[in-house]
Amino acid sequence: MNGFKAGRRAVLGGLAAAPYIGQARAQGTSPSGDPYIVGTLFPMSGPNAEYGSVFTAGAALAVQHINADSMLRRPVRIQAEDTQALPQQAVVGMTKLVNVDRAHYVLSAFTAVSKAVAPVGDRAKTVMVNGGAVGPDLSGLSPYFWNVIPLAHLETQALLPFMMQRNLKRVALVYVDDPLGDAILGILRTALPQVGGSLVGQFSVPRTAQQFAPVAARIRQTRPDAVYIASFGAQQSQIIKQLRDNGVSQPLVSYSAMNIDSVRTLTEAEGLIFTTQSTDFEGGDAVTRRFATDFKARHNADPGTYQVNYYNAVRLFGLLAQSLERENAEVNGENLRRVLLAQREFDLVGGKGRFDELGNMSAALQITEIRGGRLVKVG
Amino acid sequence: MIAYFTNLASLGAIFCILAATLNVAVGYAGIFSVAHAVFFGLGAYAGAQVSLLLIPDALVAMVVAALVAGALSLCLALPALRVRGEYFVAASLGLQMMAVTLFSEAKTLTGGIGGLTGIPRPHILGVEVSTLPVALAALALILLATALLMRGSFGRTLQAIRDGESAAEALGKNVAAAKALAVAFACAGAGVAGALFAMHMQFVNVESFNLDQSVLIMAMVIIGGTGTLWGPLVGAVILLSLPAGLAFMPFIPSTEVGAVQQIIYGLAMTLLMVFRPAGLVGDLSRGKSHA
Repeated sequence: MNGFKAGRRAVLGGLAAAPYIGQARAQGTSPSGDPYIVGTLFPMSGPNAEYGSVFTAGAALAVQHINADSMLRRPVRIQAEDTQALPQQAVVGMTKLVNVDRAHYVLSAFTAVSKAVAPVGDRAKTVMVNGGAVGPDLSGLSPYFWNVIPLAHLETQALLPFMMQRNLKRVALVYVDDPLGDAILGILRTALPQVGGSLVGQFSVPRTAQQFAPVAARIRQTRPDAVYIASFGAQQSQIIKQLRDNGVSQPLVSYSAMNIDSVRTLTEAEGLIFTTQSTDFEGGDAVTRRFATDFKARHNADPGTYQVNYYNAVRLFGLLAQSLERENAEVNGENLRRVLLAQREFDLVGGKGRFDELGNMSAALQITEIRGGRLVKVG
Repeated sequence: MIAYFTNLASLGAIFCILAATLNVAVGYAGIFSVAHAVFFGLGAYAGAQVSLLLIPDALVAMVVAALVAGALSLCLALPALRVRGEYFVAASLGLQMMAVTLFSEAKTLTGGIGGLTGIPRPHILGVEVSTLPVALAALALILLATALLMRGSFGRTLQAIRDGESAAEALGKNVAAAKALAVAFACAGAGVAGALFAMHMQFVNVESFNLDQSVLIMAMVIIGGTGTLWGPLVGAVILLSLPAGLAFMPFIPSTEVGAVQQIIYGLAMTLLMVFRPAGLVGDLSRGKSHA
């Protein structure tokens, strides 16, 4: 009887202590405890839902790697909020992430969404990282708003010498009527003459426009050497297709927004030239190779720029939080920013990522061309 | 958690103002406008510019927004005087589309697609205040004004116009003046909501004032019940709280909330129109087919 009592106590005591034993063991081997929350403010429904899935794939792989490597003492978990790429929904989602989920770090995308959530994150001192929108007005929104994507003006400038080499000097621009389009228009107006080119036509299209036959006819009248497309979202494929359908046979050029499946697999996009961040998936550093290998194994497809960006955004959180854990400091917005400004340079996919004092990352750019549905580096 | 619910409640109060004011036009006067977001936008831009350039006072911003939206509502009232029914819906649709283009292009006033950023939080007499009490007070005043107006001769005139415009005119009612006043009241209220929205969000751009927003406000009124004081409020609360509520359902993956929400919206609207065509708070005998 006594033996049974002792045994029962031992069992009860063991059961009571089991969670703590598990935790103690886990401290040494794998992350445990309350997870670090990485919030995402992506469009998961609506016309821009394709982007939400693309962005999430990159972020999810980084979370998997951080947890598998026991990079941090606590696991990392993604908490998604659907914004439909609309500012009002984004503010509701951001307020929930900050106040209910207590997110440590938030990923955002799309210019209007980023601008809308910046004041909320600024008040809460929660770091927000954009890896998808490239409007130059996203720089310096808040000390806690960072960009892990080169903003559009940098990409356009990087493309111009290559265009001159290929003798694509007379350029027609189709641009979406928003800050992104305005910024690219401004750069082409000023920078093209400086490198020996000229802007022979500029055609503004509303963001919701889906019919581009009249634009194509006007482009043909300008007889350009190349057509620069400054648009994003579901509109991009339509512009490319309708330009080709309406007899615009000149080379099409653009920026990294074209690096999505719906464009890559479009027959009419064959020969499209655009800038992306430089990433050598096969011969690059270990971080880059691991990302590329695991991404392909998981999705049976090559990764794109956006997946790289959001992988880098989450990896950056892992690196910053790791530094803070080493110095036993709390992982919060203020400390994350302090470490970012102290270190400035990080090993990310594609090589070193360098941040300026506004939290904007600069990275090497490359020029790619779509050939047979695949991206080929051409410059 | 409190901050989250305060934010939701603030947006809820703002959309209750929008639904309640649209109800004056749709529910009481029978003017089916799908351009309410235009006046919401006008109020938002007016309120934002007052806060940015003059003084971040919520009362001043709301008054200016109401005046701007109310005065420009003549753009809607003028076609309203000439056409009715589905013809007016088409006219208001045209106004909505034109306004979105103007909002996008008038960059010095609206910031274009990029919008206006850095709008100060609401202040009253120099003291920063939460949006919620200001929005609730504005909503209470608008509801009180609506109730008083609709109980009086003006309200009876509007309802007579709604039920039979020619008959009301034959009885000597000034249909043109009554319609213009109803539209001005509804649009001024939308302007107040816009000013509150701008100060609450601290950012406005044209994406908040497009046709989708107008349709959403209309859906709030119809689901709650047109021509009732409380119906539009019920509709606004339901349509705003649905996505927030779904986000807390543990069995729905957070990445699928948007898709589930769209399905539920569609299903709920269909079922509602079949079983309660007059809306949740509306008269059960209205709207059903008796064939």
